[in-house]
Amino acid sequence: MTDLLVHCDHVGRTYGRGERAVVALHDVTCAVRATDRIALTGPSGSGKSTLLQLMAGLDRSTSGTVTWPTWDGSPFGHPERAGVVFQEASLIPSLSAAENAAFPLLVQGVAADEARERAGDALDLLGVGAVASHEPDELSGGQAQRVAIARALATRPALLLADEPTGKLDSATGAHVVDLLLHACAEVGAGLVVATHDHAVARRMDRTWAIHDGELVTP
Amino acid sequence: MTWRWLAGLARKRPVRLLATAAGVAIAVSLLAALGGFVVGSEQTMTDRVAAGVAVDWQVAVAPRHDPAQVVDALRADPRTTAAVRVGFADAPGLHARSGGTVQDTGAARVLGLPPTYRATFPQAVRVLVGNTDGPVVAQQTAANLHVTPGDTITIRRAGRPPYQVRITGVVELPQADSLFQRIGAPPQSQPVAPPDNVVLLPTARFDAVYAGTPVSTQIHVARDHAALPHSPDAAFTEETGAANNLEVRTSGAAVVGNNLGAALDAAREDAGYARILFLFLAVPGAVLAAGLTGAVAQAGAERRRNEQALLRARGAAPGRLVRLALLEAGLVGLVGVLVGLAVAWVTGATPVLSWDVAAATVGVGVAALVVAAPAVRDVRALAADQAARSRSRSRPAWMRYGLDLLLIAAGLVIVRVSGQNKYTLVLAPEGVPTVSVSYWAFLGPTLAWAGAGLLCWRVADGILTRGRRLVTAAARPSLGALAPTGASMLRRRRRVIARSTVLLALAIAYACSTATFNSTYRQQAEVDAQLTNGADVTVTEPVGADVPPSYADRLGQVAGVRSVEPMLHRFAYVGNDLQDLYGIDPTGITRATHLQDSYFQQATATQALAGLQARPDGILVSAETVNDFQLSPGDLVRLRIQDARTHRYVTVPFHYVGIVNEFPTAPKDSFIVANADYVAARTHSDAVGTFLIDTGGRDITGVADRVSAVVGTDGSVGTLLQARGLVGSSLTSVDLSRLTRLELAFALLLAMAAGGLVLGLGLAERQRGIALITSLGASVRQTRRLAATEPVYVLVVGTVIGLAAGWALASLTVTVLTGVFDPPPTSLAVPWTYLAVVVVGAAASVLAGTVLVTRRARARARDLLRGT
Repeated sequence: MTDLLVHCDHVGRTYGRGERAVVALHDVTCAVRATDRIALTGPSGSGKSTLLQLMAGLDRSTSGTVTWPTWDGSPFGHPERAGVVFQEASLIPSLSAAENAAFPLLVQGVAADEARERAGDALDLLGVGAVASHEPDELSGGQAQRVAIARALATRPALLLADEPTGKLDSATGAHVVDLLLHACAEVGAGLVVATHDHAVARRMDRTWAIHDGELVTP
Repeated sequence: MTWRWLAGLARKRPVRLLATAAGVAIAVSLLAALGGFVVGSEQTMTDRVAAGVAVDWQVAVAPRHDPAQVVDALRADPRTTAAVRVGFADAPGLHARSGGTVQDTGAARVLGLPPTYRATFPQAVRVLVGNTDGPVVAQQTAANLHVTPGDTITIRRAGRPPYQVRITGVVELPQADSLFQRIGAPPQSQPVAPPDNVVLLPTARFDAVYAGTPVSTQIHVARDHAALPHSPDAAFTEETGAANNLEVRTSGAAVVGNNLGAALDAAREDAGYARILFLFLAVPGAVLAAGLTGAVAQAGAERRRNEQALLRARGAAPGRLVRLALLEAGLVGLVGVLVGLAVAWVTGATPVLSWDVAAATVGVGVAALVVAAPAVRDVRALAADQAARSRSRSRPAWMRYGLDLLLIAAGLVIVRVSGQNKYTLVLAPEGVPTVSVSYWAFLGPTLAWAGAGLLCWRVADGILTRGRRLVTAAARPSLGALAPTGASMLRRRRRVIARSTVLLALAIAYACSTATFNSTYRQQAEVDAQLTNGADVTVTEPVGADVPPSYADRLGQVAGVRSVEPMLHRFAYVGNDLQDLYGIDPTGITRATHLQDSYFQQATATQALAGLQARPDGILVSAETVNDFQLSPGDLVRLRIQDARTHRYVTVPFHYVGIVNEFPTAPKDSFIVANADYVAARTHSDAVGTFLIDTGGRDITGVADRVSAVVGTDGSVGTLLQARGLVGSSLTSVDLSRLTRLELAFALLLAMAAGGLVLGLGLAERQRGIALITSLGASVRQTRRLAATEPVYVLVVGTVIGLAAGWALASLTVTVLTGVFDPPPTSLAVPWTYLAVVVVGAAASVLAGTVLVTRRARARARDLLRGT
């Protein structure tokens, strides 16, 4: 169990209260290990993003517990060991590609020079080193998504959580991004969970979890 | 779909819609309220001027014409409320015997007044002693004849035996100048002074005494003031027209002495200044409010473009998108106009339909310009080529060519050139119906405002573009290792930041310049009142009275009096020019009155008084006298002054020590200030003309009443408060206080709105970015500080530039509006407390906006990251 990265134990997440309450996740139990390459599939609104947010420590469950056994807990808002790639590229628009990639490191208190170097390495790894000085609106969709992945990898996360990383990309670019994700995770030794409704992407993963109406069907 | 769209807007974007409508409302209310101020001021001016006229018309009946015919013609005009006949006769002299002495006077004027005269024209005759049931004499006449009520005087008649009357009272004729005017004669042919000797008889007595003797007859007319147009200009035109009409209708039987018209004529210039003040003070605020509204609308431009693209993708035709944009603008305009007009009315501005309509039109125009126009433009761009939209990264052309500096330079040159030409902002030539306003004078400040706005943009942009190290260093104490990142964020958003900074700076500049101008205006109005009255309270001795300076000790014992300074008043011939001569104690004069440096030329007040003190026979004279006689400091000046013992003018040597422009109680033209001791010694009289009394500004009326009780009828007591009413009879004290409150409230509102609203809405657009920062592991503190970097930059840079620009623009405004000030200010009066409130208010709104948006962004991070 030493390589267990995150463990969800009967986790539930409900938004709103009373009659307007919406159950996004219900009684989900699952675990991710360092060698896992998991595709999380399901229709829109099934709870994929919610589960990823809980695993990343960006949200709190309303029932059950989420734990990160291999590192010293994960205070809410400080997913120091979990890198997140969002549905859209989600780059900070007022920072260059390099500055975007270095941002999480600086937040963690890494020295500026080291942060710059590690961000550069991550960008090179994702093949976007040449556009390091470009601003987000000067990048193509694929480039922006690769910069976002580089940003997630620059912190050398133990776990990479990607929410529809290819959702807005054409199939060729999407396939290339998946290649890069798998390659990068292998390079840094990170576990990978990709939320997707694209079967082509799901097939590239080792395992597939299906989620329907907030319930995980095949853990 | 249209209504669903509007409902959706109201539901989903209420803050933006309300903020845009609020911007429109500010512009509308500012224009409507200040427009109401102009009209209200003009109405007040007209009312006050009209109320101050004792007899509106003095209609001279031509010889051999029937006065009754003229009275009938007057009464045919519905605006005539009263018309009474007054007889005027000349008497070769008056005679009285009282207390064992005999007094004789020179020529006198005898008037025959009907019993109702005092009730009809209450300001024309003021009873000092006794009553007006019988014959009365004027105050000066009573002094000349040494008579009191009950005494008998003899009135001499040309070619006929004199007759005697027993007087029942002594009166004052406050408007004797106009009462004894030569009707129909040009100004240069008017008497220099009213007659010294005046007797008022009841009409019956007058007719009896002068039966068969040629006398002149006037019809004194009261007009309906309530029917006058609100503007002095229009009222003047109407009254002049009515007077001309009467003269034509009576075919030469009547010549109108139009006292009301003359008074309105004088007020027209002030009305012109009121309009100018409106243009100077309201228009920048309204433009600023429009800019603010534009910024608010612009803050949501990206979202609007996305929505338009979505609608187009779902089949909405461009025409429909345009209609939706127009509908949104209409909704915003309607709400803004209604709220703006309501606010204007609540502030107490006089509701004036024409101004309200104009303000509403501007409001709708602003809404169309800032809401509909960009949306329509985007629709067209979307239809043409969505991809063609790209941001220009090069510096704007105006910045490359230095347009800001050129505008400021041009504005300063125009103001300087205009000032050198001694131009007059408002010119109302006497008797000419049109008022000329020099709108050219607006060009300088307008260019300076525009230049200041662009320069502010250049500075805000320049610091971010070229001052990265400076910004990083400034941010380091707050952001630590994230300081370079914060500086990068600022640099890349410099366009938006510069726009917000410019708006805040201009709002603060507007508040600063308006408040400084108003404070300076108030300060100078107070100085003017001090100049007119001389001190808090003054006791003016009648001509010929012989009250010694030691009387000051008695006045000094009155409760509430802090100090008393006697001031001699004589007349002296400088060559052939008769000037007022004031004898003062240079070491004590400032204990009772305030002397500004601007009263003197080439010296401060202290230096000028020291010059007098150093030389007992020293004199301060006007610049005109210095120029006329080519005087240099130390030159001998021989004045001819009346000797009290011989009553003959004797030559007294003085030495010129300095130039005086203004002095308490002194006239506007040339006068002389000298040492009282020297004047007293050389004229053998230390009789005081005026006692200046300082009360420390407290209980002026109470002290004046107590002083009056001591002085009795031996002198007249005047107060600073009365002087304020006099100098403020036109513009100064009437409505400016209300205008000031209004402007300062709007300026504060604009500063707070510019600070908080624009930044708040800008931050709202950045919510997703803030959510991202949070999701990338930034702590609450790091997120908040990163989010606050931009507002703090805008606040600090905007405030510094705004205060500097505001001070400069206030100086410029004061320079251009010098004609409003009398005397011109030595320095600007800066309202520090108000400015502190503005800066604190802007800072509070900025910080509140930042905290609210940051908190909301963190709370909604999950939704924002999913793009919902």
